[in-house]
Amino acid sequence: MADGPATFTTLISAFTTFLTVAIHTILYERSIYPRTSFLSARKYNYAVRQSRHPKVCQWIADAVAAVESELLKGTVGRVAVVIFDQSEKPLERFMFDCSRLPVVPAGEWDTPLVRESKNGERTDILPLVDLEEQLRAAMAKLTVCGTLLRPVPENCSFTVAIELKDEGDAPIGHPQPWVPVSPGLQKSVDKDAERRSRTGEDVGGVKTTPLRNVEAGEMMFEMWIEEGKAKMRGPEKNRNVVELGEGWRSSASS
Amino acid sequence: MGSRLEQKSTLVRKRIEGHTFDDEAGDEYEGSKFGGFPEYFRRKKIKLQNKDAQLRTQSGDKPNIFKGVVCHVNGYTQPSLNDLHTMIVQHGGGFLQYLDGKTMVTHIIASNLTPKKKEEFKRYRIVKPAWIVDSIAAGKLLPWDAYRVVDEGVGQKVLGFDNGNVITQANRKTQGYKEQTDTSWYTSQLKARDVQATSSSTARPRLTFTQTVTPSEEIEDDEYPLPEITSSIERAMEGLDGLDEDDDELPEPVERTEDAPGPEAKLETPPPTSPLPAPADKTLFLPEDAAIKATSPINTPTRQAFRKETVLSPGRAAAAIPPIESPARQETALQPRQGSQEPDYTMSIVKNSEALRSISPSRLANMTAEEHNALLLSDPKIRKSTVVHPDFLEQYYRESRLHHLSTWKADLKAQLQALAAEKSSSQKEKLKVKKLPGQRRYIMHVDFDSFFAAVSLKKHPEYVDKPAVVAHGSGSGSEIASCNYPARAFGVSNGMWMRRAQELCPELKILPYDFPGYEEASRKFYDAIMATGGVVQSVSIDEALVDISQICFAEAATDGVKRAEGGVDREQAVADGIAQKMRDEVLAKTGCAVSVGIGGNILLAKVALRKAKPAGQYQLRPEEVLDFIGKLEVKSLPGVAWSIGGRLEEIGCKLVKDIREMTKEKLINTLGPKTGEKLWDYARGIDRAEVGDQVVRKSVSAEVNWGVRFENQEQVDEFMHGLCGELHKRLTKEKVKGKQLTMKVMRRAGDAPRDPPKHLGHGKCDTYNKSVQLGVATNDKELIVKEAIAMMKSFNISPGELRGIGIQMQKLDTLKAGPDGADLASQRKLFFKRGQPSKPPAERADDTVPEDPIQDDVKTPQKAQRFVDANNRPSVPIPPIAPHTPSKKLLNTLGTQFVLPTQFDPSVLAELPEDIRSKLAKLVKPDSGMEAPPEPAKAAVAGPVKPVQPPSAIVGLPNQSQLDPSILEALPKDVRAEIMGFYNKSPGNRKRGEQALLPQSPRKARTLPTSKQPVKRKRGGGLFAGRARSNMRSGDSSTLTQANFVARPVSRHLQNDDVTTATDTEAEPAAANDTVDPEFLAALPEDVRREVLAQQRNVRLQRAGGIDLSLHQRPRAQRGKKKAAEDEVLLERVIVLPPRPSKPTFTSRKLTELPDLREAMKAWYKEFEDEAPYEEDVLALVKYLRGVVLDERDVGKAVAVLKWVEWLIDEGEARASAKSGWNMALQQMKHGVQSAAEERGLGRLDL
Repeated sequence: MADGPATFTTLISAFTTFLTVAIHTILYERSIYPRTSFLSARKYNYAVRQSRHPKVCQWIADAVAAVESELLKGTVGRVAVVIFDQSEKPLERFMFDCSRLPVVPAGEWDTPLVRESKNGERTDILPLVDLEEQLRAAMAKLTVCGTLLRPVPENCSFTVAIELKDEGDAPIGHPQPWVPVSPGLQKSVDKDAERRSRTGEDVGGVKTTPLRNVEAGEMMFEMWIEEGKAKMRGPEKNRNVVELGEGWRSSASS
Repeated sequence: MGSRLEQKSTLVRKRIEGHTFDDEAGDEYEGSKFGGFPEYFRRKKIKLQNKDAQLRTQSGDKPNIFKGVVCHVNGYTQPSLNDLHTMIVQHGGGFLQYLDGKTMVTHIIASNLTPKKKEEFKRYRIVKPAWIVDSIAAGKLLPWDAYRVVDEGVGQKVLGFDNGNVITQANRKTQGYKEQTDTSWYTSQLKARDVQATSSSTARPRLTFTQTVTPSEEIEDDEYPLPEITSSIERAMEGLDGLDEDDDELPEPVERTEDAPGPEAKLETPPPTSPLPAPADKTLFLPEDAAIKATSPINTPTRQAFRKETVLSPGRAAAAIPPIESPARQETALQPRQGSQEPDYTMSIVKNSEALRSISPSRLANMTAEEHNALLLSDPKIRKSTVVHPDFLEQYYRESRLHHLSTWKADLKAQLQALAAEKSSSQKEKLKVKKLPGQRRYIMHVDFDSFFAAVSLKKHPEYVDKPAVVAHGSGSGSEIASCNYPARAFGVSNGMWMRRAQELCPELKILPYDFPGYEEASRKFYDAIMATGGVVQSVSIDEALVDISQICFAEAATDGVKRAEGGVDREQAVADGIAQKMRDEVLAKTGCAVSVGIGGNILLAKVALRKAKPAGQYQLRPEEVLDFIGKLEVKSLPGVAWSIGGRLEEIGCKLVKDIREMTKEKLINTLGPKTGEKLWDYARGIDRAEVGDQVVRKSVSAEVNWGVRFENQEQVDEFMHGLCGELHKRLTKEKVKGKQLTMKVMRRAGDAPRDPPKHLGHGKCDTYNKSVQLGVATNDKELIVKEAIAMMKSFNISPGELRGIGIQMQKLDTLKAGPDGADLASQRKLFFKRGQPSKPPAERADDTVPEDPIQDDVKTPQKAQRFVDANNRPSVPIPPIAPHTPSKKLLNTLGTQFVLPTQFDPSVLAELPEDIRSKLAKLVKPDSGMEAPPEPAKAAVAGPVKPVQPPSAIVGLPNQSQLDPSILEALPKDVRAEIMGFYNKSPGNRKRGEQALLPQSPRKARTLPTSKQPVKRKRGGGLFAGRARSNMRSGDSSTLTQANFVARPVSRHLQNDDVTTATDTEAEPAAANDTVDPEFLAALPEDVRREVLAQQRNVRLQRAGGIDLSLHQRPRAQRGKKKAAEDEVLLERVIVLPPRPSKPTFTSRKLTELPDLREAMKAWYKEFEDEAPYEEDVLALVKYLRGVVLDERDVGKAVAVLKWVEWLIDEGEARASAKSGWNMALQQMKHGVQSAAEERGLGRLDL
């Protein structure tokens, strides 16, 4: 993290760094790639795994960069790391609810941010010590997910998706880094006043395992794991979100 | 060496180091039993170590240079095993008499090994005894590999280090005992004894020498009190003219010491450890000493001079003092100075430095490098010219002559190359196609004769026939850039130091550089060359290659292949004719002579040119090629200088024809595949290079090795930032990124003085290089800085010792991205992702705009309007977003409101179609008239100073680096001062946001903070705010900026500083935005462009005017202004987020933390264990947990509380009825949490 007062950009990049680490960890814990293809590394003073396959790293880096650009726009409600089975059915979704991150207009991304407390004091938005503690704890929670969850079948693949806040517009345009996710994971809010909404059947999954709520200064997000119907084979319904998937499904099958 | 070797020897070393010996009471001194040989042997070894331990304790203050070394001696050595043992042990090493395994020791000392052992010990450190002796003499552990006994075999070259340069050297022949006897330690000892008849009987005279250093200094200090002492600095004060004196004086001290080496030496001789019969010596020497004192008045000058030499360089003091004792070595100590080409710089600054002068030389010598630098830097004048000064880099590159010359040359060359390429590319294409196999070629190599000198001489024609040189000054340290032929006759050559040149030729004339002249001459030169019509390749500003084959063929009416009817002769005649004509032309145009070499390829042309010079031309005909080249020395081939030449000489090639006798393989073996093959070809007159081949740049670097003096690590880091910035700039300029970063560090050589002869120069240095692979090509400054600093740290050089730093980027990739490519830095980047979070807004605008600006605008407003979710609603209304959908754009059209767009970028304007331009121009005029009313002016104000203002005008200052200097330049002086002033005032202020938009926090139920919140601005309402945003947006995208287009009345600046500052700065971001505007606008279809401009205009109208604002807008603007007044307090530009709403709490105790909650649950359960809980309590808890899930958004916490309660119930020993009551309550809670989670769109919780 850069010196000087924390800005929105530093805040977001702290989050995306965590996201990157988390994705690597998830890939390892869920055995999406052979475990031997991971290196042990240290982040947040915690042992984490890092894929050493350059393409995987590159893909993750690219995906996170794309997420970052959306995060900066402040339209992202949740970031999801979705694990699919061979037939593209979502099995697990690792959710990062980042809707509580502050929203800063584009021009002010590099303006130092401070949070004013009730009594008018200004506090640092990124207390580094707290942050590291919190992220370490979150990472620790994440690494035990392997034991919490039932193992996924072979040849799974993964992708990174974002769910936009209801008021956010889909990042459509050219070039188009994001593509809509499969309908099952989509929630669409009709933009008309009536607000009819359609909910994908796979949204929300059937079982949710809360992981951790991270709270350090402005870095506030919550993590949980959703396990999908395809995994549970138990029909259950839930409600809605708009979601867009990354442009590529990673060629994750090993 | 392998770790196995280390492992075991480390154990042994530790054991030895830990070995202590108290008395002979240990069990090793007991008698050994019959048959107890192993025991006996073990004890023997312990006893031997006891002896060593004792030796070590008695060794006194001998330096522990062999710490960490464990040795074993094998075979006959000189000095003997015993002596070596003592030496090693006394100097802190470990010694093993019995070697149980080869890995037990770090080094095995041997003079020679039997062939079998040689094979066996091949991979171990077998060292000659001289290593020990020399290390002790040097006072430090010398690298052992210079003393190898077993080498890698004759075929294997080894790397060696010489003066910091890595060199390969042939393996030394293994020498045997003979070497020992000749250069034997004992032999030298014997000799030394002869020489120093009076020397003490100590076994190691050299040791005592080093020990005498300190006393000698003390004595001197006592004898010659401070004021008299001349230091290096005072010496420097004598400056230039002092140089000559010095020269005169130098021999004297030498003489003197030769005359009287005895007394001096003896004075200092009694070393503390040597058991000299002191009284006798004293009496012997005292008279002499007295004699010196008596004669001291006479001696003073020489003495002083002598001392000057001694203290000349504090760093050298140690080396300089032993010479006192042995005159022969004094000579060598002085040698480098006398013979060196290094200029004796005037040190005009250093000499004036009070700080340095006030320090006694002996203190100077004892200071650490950092202290020394700090002292040096304490003089502001010196400080200014070192790296510590913030503007150093800039200044350095501005003033460095070398830099100037090279960049100037490179620029000029690039220009000319471009010119040549342009002119000849079409021809070349044509010609290439036609080229036939076996066709003869005619290549001219054209070169000015001593270009700089010739051009400079034009201004001083009187010196034409006299030896003259071009140099930057007449100081002895200036370097000769170019010299004319008369000067060359004296032996003066380019690159020589002036001092040397003046020795060779006292009446040398020195001419200044004449850069405009050079440029002009060069241009004319190229014009003439271009006129020949051949294919031109520019070599440098005064040198070019021209392929005239086609012209020759055409004129001689041949096809260049057949050798019929004297066609070849005709061609050659034509070539000569062309060359002659061109030479005449150049001479006529520039007044300078050029030489031309003509040959069948580039090599031959270059070789021919040698013969043509000066002022002539020479054609190397095919039939004489082999003879001609054969007679040349190898070093005169292009691309062969001393290093390759040296290697060639090693294999017996002096002349080119010798090369012909070599096999290609041999050459390749010696010189490497490329060079070897090239030379093999060259020797036969073959050169495959084509005229017009371009050399691709392989690296970009930035290096500073003058003025590098640091006091601490921070300064180094800071400097690295600057240097990396420079590198980044260059990378950007070259449009490349690199994958490999190499750092070169010059560190003051151990024996070099702290103040090198050249003022603040680097002096004698060791050079270290290190590279790092970056993996992905980058030109990202931050990344480079990070790597560079890390590398710098890894050198582990103390900052004070640094003398030069260079960083270089290699493995270059060209930058493919567009104009903003510079910012598309590092690896994370996806090609599609144009926006970079850290990019200034201007550039951000550009990532959306090129796609479809209109759509973009449409999109944004929706966003704002739809921020409805209560949960996420920002504390403040959402940033303004343009309401300008394409359809809306038509509403305000230009004729209606004559408020002027305050900002025009002239370049944009120039790009516009005539009709639009005229309309815009019309707009301008009204504006200048309008500035007077304070209202609109105020409305146009923007600024960090007053955070709350009419949103229309809110503009953040761009980063200072973003300012376009040319725009700044164009501003009126006072305005410029203001802008700069602002930057100075708020150095930390780096935001470049243009809209002071309100931060929103996504939580609901936020109380709006009352004041001080820039946020408030948006209360102006979505629509209004939206406008402001669109202003900015469109402003960015098409950049109609005010710049110098509109003449601003000066009075306005005076009137309202804030106003002007803001508006002016407003121009900056736009100006910096060149990424978008002109090209973008120009690229748009006409109608779209008009639309964009119209929109722009509307926006400006709304912003700037206030006059024709529609009614409902106006009050808002005023409101905004009021707020502005309120908020003026807030000077610092930060975004203040309003306080977060408090978390939901549980019970009146306001519990929020999980442990507290657990406690509370526990207490609650305990309390009501025997009866079911009250409904109200359960409801309260459910409500709280729902709050946790929905508002605090911590499902995990809610679940944890539930689990805790569940556990309590399970563990508790409540009666069945109570338990079921509790379970029901638990179900209720679970249900509540579950539904809350569902509300948030989460799946079923696993409870």
